[in-house]
Amino acid sequence: MWYPLRKLGLLLLTAWAAITLNFLLPRLMPGTPADAAIAKLAQNGPVDPATRAAIEAQLGVPTGDVWSQYVQYLGNVSRLDFGVSYTFFPQSVSSLVLNALPWTLVMVGLVTIVAFVLGTLLGVLAAWKRGTWLDTLPTLGGTFTSAFPYFWTALLLVFFLGYTLKWFPTSGAYGLEATPNLSLAFIGDALGHAWLPAVTILVTSVGGWILGMRNNMINTLGDDYVTFAEANGLRTHTVAIKYAARNAILPNLTGFGLALGGVVGGSLLVEQVFNYPGVGYLLFNAVTNQDFPLMQALFLMITISILLANFLVDILYGLLDPRTRR
Amino acid sequence: MSLLEVNNLSVIYEPRGAEPTYAVRNASFSLERGEFVGLVGESGSGKSTLGFAVTRLAKAPARISEGTILFDGRDIASMDEEELRKQRQGGFAMVLQSGMNALNPVRSIRKHFGDIFAAHDHVPTSKRLARAYDLVEKVELPRDVLDRFPGELSGGMRQRVSIALALSLEPQLMVFDEPTTALDVLVQHAVMGTIRELQKSENFTALLISHDLGVVLESTSRVMVMSEGVIVEDGTSQQILHAPQHEYTQMLLGHYADPRAEVVEVPGLVVRGLTISSTGLGSALDAVSPKTGEVTAAPSAPARRRPGRPEVAAIVVDDVTKVYPRPRRGSDPVTAVDHVSFTLDQGQSMALVGASGSGKSTIAKLITGVERPTSGTILFGETRVDTLRGKGLRGLRQEVQMVFQDPYSALNPLHTVEYALMRPVLNHTGLRGAAARTRVLELLDTVGLTPVEQFAAKLPHQLSGGQRQRVVIARALACDPQVIIADEPVSMLDVSLRAGVLALLDGLRVTFGVSMLYITHDLLSARLVTDQIMVLNQGRVVESGQTAQVLRFPQDPYTMELLEAIPQPHRAGAGR
Repeated sequence: MWYPLRKLGLLLLTAWAAITLNFLLPRLMPGTPADAAIAKLAQNGPVDPATRAAIEAQLGVPTGDVWSQYVQYLGNVSRLDFGVSYTFFPQSVSSLVLNALPWTLVMVGLVTIVAFVLGTLLGVLAAWKRGTWLDTLPTLGGTFTSAFPYFWTALLLVFFLGYTLKWFPTSGAYGLEATPNLSLAFIGDALGHAWLPAVTILVTSVGGWILGMRNNMINTLGDDYVTFAEANGLRTHTVAIKYAARNAILPNLTGFGLALGGVVGGSLLVEQVFNYPGVGYLLFNAVTNQDFPLMQALFLMITISILLANFLVDILYGLLDPRTRR
Repeated sequence: MSLLEVNNLSVIYEPRGAEPTYAVRNASFSLERGEFVGLVGESGSGKSTLGFAVTRLAKAPARISEGTILFDGRDIASMDEEELRKQRQGGFAMVLQSGMNALNPVRSIRKHFGDIFAAHDHVPTSKRLARAYDLVEKVELPRDVLDRFPGELSGGMRQRVSIALALSLEPQLMVFDEPTTALDVLVQHAVMGTIRELQKSENFTALLISHDLGVVLESTSRVMVMSEGVIVEDGTSQQILHAPQHEYTQMLLGHYADPRAEVVEVPGLVVRGLTISSTGLGSALDAVSPKTGEVTAAPSAPARRRPGRPEVAAIVVDDVTKVYPRPRRGSDPVTAVDHVSFTLDQGQSMALVGASGSGKSTIAKLITGVERPTSGTILFGETRVDTLRGKGLRGLRQEVQMVFQDPYSALNPLHTVEYALMRPVLNHTGLRGAAARTRVLELLDTVGLTPVEQFAAKLPHQLSGGQRQRVVIARALACDPQVIIADEPVSMLDVSLRAGVLALLDGLRVTFGVSMLYITHDLLSARLVTDQIMVLNQGRVVESGQTAQVLRFPQDPYTMELLEAIPQPHRAGAGR
């Protein structure tokens, strides 16, 4: 019982630190958002007091001391109130993020998990059948596909499967005429759109998992407990799964945690290539348009999602490895 | 009919991209039911390969190239996998060398037993728990180990668990491959005792593979000796002990001696001479009047005093205690060293002996300034070691050098011997260019690695264990230290190489006036190369004095226990 509580405490502490940093960093910069906007206007001529007042009213001027601002900020964060986006005015930042998040979580998140599971299984098989075609094919294939640059694979797939063969739509998350709802027709449409980006991520990431798992597994197969299990005449699948693979997967969990944490922040390239309306797409827009409220909220969310993923992996470790529970 | 009949068995290693080599050549022997047989040889002799072959555990690149293995009349060399797997229940079982790692770290002990019962179905489900309890009790473990994970057990307990697991197969033949090598002396003694008792009570046939002829002779009734893949001798323990035929067996036996004896002699090693010769060891060691038990003569040849050094003791340790903080939540702080005081003079050699966890390595860390004592003072000459920082520590490292236990990992595999020795010469002596190189070659000559030019160009993997340890010693000598701390310098080496390295260490003391702190659990080597001894138990000095005196007439029960735990070939057959 101790172990998960300790990890939860650690999660809350780091999350608090991340939120506080997110609050402090902009305040360490000189000036306010209003000052910046006014300075830009001032390059074209003098700014009259009415304009200045209007801009300050729109962007807000800090009032009170840092402490009261901090308390107010914490309150806003707990209500998921991150202000109004500059780019997509008058939409609020949180509504933008909440609209983008499901697309990324479902598509990228699911593919990341599928890639890990598939890669691990293939890796186990490759190591167990070392030297046969079951080893050579996934190992060589994995090395080959994981060396492809991401966008190149994406372009190839778009060109052949999307443009030439017209099997899949080449961009967006759903058809132009559709509006998001939970009807079967819409879900089918969304799945059709998800195929190409999903396959691209799968092709480029599964090789790493295969190779990693295969190498770990080959190491554990040489360990004494595997030899001893064989000497005791345990069934083949018991030795392969419960003795060798069970231990070989442990180091890979850390990598899996990092990959899961990177789902939210790391999908920028995918979503950009396929015009997929997820978090990465939103982040790209926020950065190019200097949309500070949106950026701040997204950075915070990326941080929190990495922390959450690490927490999950820690808990998983605790379940799988008795040595970490102490 | 014999239980196991091995005919003309050869095992070949066929690594990819390298020449195949024979690990076992034309081995033929048989084991009778209920017999306890030993298989002895040094590293690389093929004894483990043979053990793996007869239990059909040899994996690629090893392959049985010819011969038959008849177990109970059936040839297991040509059995298919599934048949072999079933055969393992009620057939042959194996206990591995590093039994500490033979258990799956993520499975509880209970599940280990469960896996075996599930695989063979030889015990009805309702009786499995009772059988598991019965088995752990047989190996003298409490019942609650079943609920523990391997990481929560000590090395000795883990080895006992793997013996119990092997026993759960109800084997007719048990192969023990170095079952106690990785264990602490006292634990080793106890586990061997358990194995002997089990063999008698369960009456299985046992094959004990070991590099330690002492252990084997103590336990078995028949011994096979292996050298370079060939069984060179096969006879009863008494024959092997009293009338060894093969020169290899004679050589192995020659390296055993009782550290309690009046005269201790090991071939090739003269402890108290200026030169290394093969005679006159015992008489020079000590002259003891048998009636009073007092050591009357000073034991060692005088060491040369080093020029230009103040005439003070090399190291004075005064009332030193080291307490480590709690290793984990809920446990107590560990007192590794508990009020220890001693003085090491120039040119003196002192042994620190004790089981693991006795604090002997911590003392080495304190003297080298790696750790700081919690209380007490350590003087090197006139410098306080326990408060040194930065530059002072660097100066200390020139004077106090370490020789480590494992010569296989103490040298960077990517650099030549010359490079390994050049670093300390450049860093500590200020020599440059040709002078530095001359010094390196001189060092190689000192440690007996000649022709020096050839050895300088070699990489670590081209050297034997003993040669590597010589390079490590040369490296320690490079900055002309006053004190050498040797931490189990020969425990990883084959018996035949040990004497040479020990003689070298002792020669350094005599010719260069170096002081040596010799950390070991091996009392025989302590007797051979040191004149003072301190026996440590749980951080406290339980006994100290002249080595010969302490080992011959021990006062403390712990010292006696350590002495008792040493395998004695001469006890062969005593227990049967």
